[in-house]
Amino acid sequence: MQTDKYARLSEFGKELLSKHSLDEGLPLIIKYLKALIGADRCSVFIYNTREHRLWSTIADGVERIEVDADEGIVGYTIRKKEVVMTNDAYSHPEFLSKIDTQTGYLTKNILTAPIFDSTRNVIGVVELLNKSGGFDEEDRKFITFFAHFISGFLELVNIYEKI
Amino acid sequence: MKKFNEIAAFGQKLMANTDMDEVLRLIADEAKKLVNAQRCSLFIVDEENELLWTKHSDGLERIVVGLHSGVVGDTYQKQTPQIVNNPYEDERFLPHIDKKSGFVTHNIITVPIYNSKRNIMGILQLLNKQEGDFDNDDLEFLIFYANYISGSLELVMLNDDKEND
Repeated sequence: MQTDKYARLSEFGKELLSKHSLDEGLPLIIKYLKALIGADRCSVFIYNTREHRLWSTIADGVERIEVDADEGIVGYTIRKKEVVMTNDAYSHPEFLSKIDTQTGYLTKNILTAPIFDSTRNVIGVVELLNKSGGFDEEDRKFITFFAHFISGFLELVNIYEKI
Repeated sequence: MKKFNEIAAFGQKLMANTDMDEVLRLIADEAKKLVNAQRCSLFIVDEENELLWTKHSDGLERIVVGLHSGVVGDTYQKQTPQIVNNPYEDERFLPHIDKKSGFVTHNIITVPIYNSKRNIMGILQLLNKQEGDFDNDDLEFLIFYANYISGSLELVMLNDDKEND
């Protein structure tokens, strides 16, 4: 199973690198990561260091929404620069329950990983929600690997979307 | 956009490869092309044995140096890229490798390659820029490049380890 997951990364990588924009790449990243770890939801947050702002895509992975870069588990991930894993979201001091209240979604467990660029600044966060049975150490290892794996793509399209 | 497409096309080619030797060769060849250097060696960190080794280094057989020797060792120790435009006056430089191969090193640039745990897993070393010396543009670009290829390198090394288990 584990070998299979890592083996599928090279197939995913090829497909990802055929995409030339975030709009095309993000839905693919979300689709794969969700399937490989087996979580109910996945989001990618793109962090703008200079403006200290964070945006993400909703539903279809294309429409953009802005979120506060200080708040919640995602903000905590940016500050800590480490993977955050909690299998009891509501007991985590950084968890923001107001988002669940707004959306009607019930978050049970969360796994996030910071994405670093080549100069080792955080350029984004990947977040997974609700894996049945909870996240484990193997998932933590995999998301660390995955976040690094996609960082080259994200940095490259970031550079070119700015130009 | 041209450079973007070139790098993306290279990335796809790299991802399509699951053979470690081939991946190392592709990474080195592309790096050479991108910064217009004469030679490129990709050193792999072996922390257990405190070594840095290359699988192949064009024109040369496998090179093995101590984890802390040479400009590559210094790159590992300081965790920062190095530019050496006067190697024969630099005390870190290891002239015996030139002596052995008959190659004359004029200038050197090195960048660390990090794995997903943010440890250095390799060092990319380029020798002899075709025109002039290595500069900050080369450095900036290679830092980007080292990260860009690092995911593929880590994956192929992981799979290589599994096969050897």
